[in-house]
Amino acid sequence: MNSLFHTNIRQPLMVLLLIVSSTLVANAQDSRIQTASLDHLAAKASESVDVNVDERLMKMAAKVFSDQDADERKIKKLVEGLKGIYVRSFEFDASGQYTDADLESIRTQLRGPGWTRMVNVTSKKDGKLEVYLLFHGDMVNGLAVLHSDEKELTIVNIVGPVDLDKLAQLEGQFGVPELGIESQKPKTKNEQ
Amino acid sequence: MKEDYLWDKTGEPDPEIQQLEEILGTLRYEPKPLELPQDLLTPRRRRNHFPLLAIAATVLLALLAAGLWLRVRTQSESQPQQASVTPAQSTIDEKSTVATNNDEERKQQKIEQVRKRGWARLRPLPRHSKHRSSSTTLAKQEREEALEAKQQVMLALRLTTEKLSLVHKKNQSPSNQIKNQHRVG
Repeated sequence: MNSLFHTNIRQPLMVLLLIVSSTLVANAQDSRIQTASLDHLAAKASESVDVNVDERLMKMAAKVFSDQDADERKIKKLVEGLKGIYVRSFEFDASGQYTDADLESIRTQLRGPGWTRMVNVTSKKDGKLEVYLLFHGDMVNGLAVLHSDEKELTIVNIVGPVDLDKLAQLEGQFGVPELGIESQKPKTKNEQ
Repeated sequence: MKEDYLWDKTGEPDPEIQQLEEILGTLRYEPKPLELPQDLLTPRRRRNHFPLLAIAATVLLALLAAGLWLRVRTQSESQPQQASVTPAQSTIDEKSTVATNNDEERKQQKIEQVRKRGWARLRPLPRHSKHRSSSTTLAKQEREEALEAKQQVMLALRLTTEKLSLVHKKNQSPSNQIKNQHRVG
């Protein structure tokens, strides 16, 4: 029986395990942040924004960006490689409309493998701003911005290879403010 | 009675022992090669299909799992393909009133911001229709869908860059607490 296992079953089992594990790893590396847990906030919000652009829509949108216009061409280049853009934003009339648990449901996902918190800014006036990047090797494979103010909660999630250089090129165009973004490269483990 | 014959075949033979010798002698060891039956010497060639079947079953299971996973994934992604901005009615009504305190002024500013951004123009994306009448309708619908998607992408990029701009400003301000660049996960 033991030899039967070693000769006949072990190899297919290893193949199956490899396939399952690679699927799980691929799933774990998905940079899409689930925001369904925040749905209940829409009823409390005075203003809410919900943008869900998946890969298919992203490709469609890329087609209608003009190649003639230099500005649109830049945005098209940025958008072409992306797999999705998702935004949830809530603005409230009163403070305390969302809880720490709501925020934690998002942060828990951003503590997953690959995600790195690049910036964490806290200010009395503008609340807390966190910028997370999902690194896949040396590539930035996702971006998440979490802004929590007394009366505002915004989550921006860009899925796919984000080119920070190209994002920086959008400054001052289409109403995009000047950012002063500098391209960031992942730090080596020694630097962290 | 002497028992020498029993032990070393010397002395007077015992008839009982001789009889036993005759009976058991047929089973005596003979140094000759083992003769197996002919059908055992030439066994039928039976191919063992078990490893192939196991591999096929594994691949089938993996394909099924991948198919299910992709289906679940596409369903979950395709459900909320829309952008919506829902300003509360009370907030809009306040546009006509004069702002008397800071909160109201802030609301007015927000409304203005929303108007400038063009959020109110956004409508939910049209759903995919499986039965479309003609190719022109298809192209028209696709274009409309693409234009809506473009608007959403622009809105999302604006929001993203606004937030990043805020981060940049805060980063440059020395008074703020900046805990930068450290791994969380």
